[in-house]
Amino acid sequence: MLGLFATLNLGARALQAQQAGVEVAGQNLANVNNPAYARQRVQYQTSISVSTGVGQEGTGVQVTTIQQTRDSLLDSQVRDENSVGSYWTAQQSALNNTQTELGELLGSNASTASGTDTSTGLSTQLSDLFNAFQSVASDPTSLAQRQTLISQAQTLASSFNQASTRLSGIQSNLNTSIQDDVNSANQLMSDIAQLNGQISVAEAGTNNTANDLRDLREQKLETLSNLGNFQVTTSADGTLSISGGGTQFVSGSQVASSLATQDRQGNLFVISTADNSDVSFSTGSIQGKIDVRDGALSDLQKGLDTLASQLISQVNSIYSKGYDLNGNTGADFFTGTGAADIGVNADLQADPSQVQAAGAAGATGDNSVALALGQLATTAQAGLNNQSFGDAYGLLVNSLGNSLSNANDQVTNSQTVSNMLLTQRDSVSGVSMEEELTNLMNFQKAYQASSQIITTVNQMLETLVSMKTV
Amino acid sequence: MRIAGTTYSDIAVSQLNFLSAQQTKLQNQVSTGQRVQKPEDDPAAMAEGLSLQAQNSTATQYSQNISTLQSRASTVYSALDQLKTISDRATEIATQADGTASPAQLQAYATEVGQLIQQTVSLANTKDGSQYVFGGTNSGQPPFTTTTDANGNVTTVSYQGNTSVMQTQIADATTMSVDAPGANSTGTGPRGVFSDSRFGADIFSHLISLQNHLQSGDTAAISSTDSPALLKDEDNIIYQVSANGVAQTRLTTAASAASSQQSSLQTAFTNLTGADLTQTIVDLTQAQNTYQAALEGSSALLKMQQSLLNYL
Repeated sequence: MLGLFATLNLGARALQAQQAGVEVAGQNLANVNNPAYARQRVQYQTSISVSTGVGQEGTGVQVTTIQQTRDSLLDSQVRDENSVGSYWTAQQSALNNTQTELGELLGSNASTASGTDTSTGLSTQLSDLFNAFQSVASDPTSLAQRQTLISQAQTLASSFNQASTRLSGIQSNLNTSIQDDVNSANQLMSDIAQLNGQISVAEAGTNNTANDLRDLREQKLETLSNLGNFQVTTSADGTLSISGGGTQFVSGSQVASSLATQDRQGNLFVISTADNSDVSFSTGSIQGKIDVRDGALSDLQKGLDTLASQLISQVNSIYSKGYDLNGNTGADFFTGTGAADIGVNADLQADPSQVQAAGAAGATGDNSVALALGQLATTAQAGLNNQSFGDAYGLLVNSLGNSLSNANDQVTNSQTVSNMLLTQRDSVSGVSMEEELTNLMNFQKAYQASSQIITTVNQMLETLVSMKTV
Repeated sequence: MRIAGTTYSDIAVSQLNFLSAQQTKLQNQVSTGQRVQKPEDDPAAMAEGLSLQAQNSTATQYSQNISTLQSRASTVYSALDQLKTISDRATEIATQADGTASPAQLQAYATEVGQLIQQTVSLANTKDGSQYVFGGTNSGQPPFTTTTDANGNVTTVSYQGNTSVMQTQIADATTMSVDAPGANSTGTGPRGVFSDSRFGADIFSHLISLQNHLQSGDTAAISSTDSPALLKDEDNIIYQVSANGVAQTRLTTAASAASSQQSSLQTAFTNLTGADLTQTIVDLTQAQNTYQAALEGSSALLKMQQSLLNYL
């Protein structure tokens, strides 16, 4: 027999245990909308039983630990998918900017009766330039046509300049953003190392898990996974090691190495501070930004440069042999060497009669040079893989469109996978209000019931004590 | 499966986001009538669309070139037509100025021929816009200059143009010219209008010779030399008129070819990049219905979530 006092203790323990259940349910309900939170459960165990004459007799219940419900496999899948998603989101956002800055839109033929002439961008301006050469060819002495030609050429040249400047702007934004990402990654890794230390101290020598510290660390890990696909390994003491791209960054509470950037010809690359070796990730926003900068964006920049330099050299090689209305020859039409600095010969802007449209001296009605320049529109250029200027530009736009549409698809895919994983993880770790409310009721009822034990024992004790006075 | 408290709302939000994005895209397609606007919409169609636009723009330019040529061809034609009248009258005078004509009549004829020469010179210096039509490509100055004697009679007419003509593009890989040089004594190239050594045509010197013979009363020389020479000029003019007619016919054909090319390019462009309005509107309505259903469904779910509390 336990005896009345021992039973009173049993009741008191039971009250404490149920109270812990209510407290944890309260903690869970309070964090129902906290995405980093993993639901917690009170682990109960019967308290040590006592050997009596009638056998082992229980002494009630005790709380052993408060455990969080996490599936570390799902956690790591969520992180991996985060990295993939961020990789493509970084590309998508940069390519979207590129598409906007290039400003190549097909015109709406619903809004205009004539149809296709409302388009903007270099494509239309290239056509306009060659058409302006044709117009000069059909009326070679007209100053008005020459003036139109010069202004079309200026429009085209400044569009090339603008596109070049804007694409460089995107490039430098990407570099700045890579630097920001590297800074955040270093901050997160040092936070995680610190949390590792705190967790190992809190958990040392006990069965307890430092639930809230672990939640915080998992949250930091997930933020870090957006930046790069770091590998995470767990140690027995509850700490984590982080490595990525072949370098160990965090080991226990120590930061073994940080990320740094290195400027190579204006572009930033990521290295490790331990040995200055290159760190390359396969996913994550840092790698996404590097890949889009050195891939689609760089291809487009080079393509525009080639297009502009071919345009300059092809037009000039024909044009410089022509004669202007005053019989002068040998000047260039375009100045510059590429998309960034293409311009129209400043003399022409002052005096359109200097446009060298004629193929022979003293024959102002000769249009052979202007005609040959107009015919460049459809001529295949060896320097552009045997494409005409317009088609070569079309391929650049096509390739940008392909990259962006691929990134769009990948982002959608990754979001779908990510959502599924999050739902799956929520089904393990997420807080369900119904569940917690039900638990709350259970614990409340059990608390009420346990308090009845104390009341009953109390009454029994009173009965016992009052026996003496009777 | 265990459903956590935030699962309903997370799923509802991502589903509603997806449906809103789809609606916006379809709405934009319906309002612009375009399926492809940005490179990302359909990269292949975008490149093809740009190429069709460029071709269309080129075809429009060809149409403009053709109409420039047509206007020039009619300027040339009107000059040739007047030249034909002058040539007819000169031939008539050469026939009438035979032995039966009185010296006074011959003098009157001589004066008339003098005027015909002046008219011809002015025709030969016809301008189209700022360019002299019959100067070859040396079109910035009057192609024919005259020297006159003390009586104001034209004694020589000399050509200072060249024998090249301006080519204009009227279709891909096709150029043509409606011009003819005023004179061609090189023996090659386009046939000169007023003078061409290959065909014995030289209307100015023939008219001047006629005028001289009329003044001197040399009717024999008129019938033996001037009449046959003027006939050669007449032939040359008839050749030029018919060449001009052929060119104008060709331009009309080219103009209709360019305009039908434009309309077929526009059709191709619309087919390639335009939205199938019926289909798009059906899709949009469907997306709107789904959106509404998703809204109702999720609001019902979110309400239901409160229900356990209501029972406690």
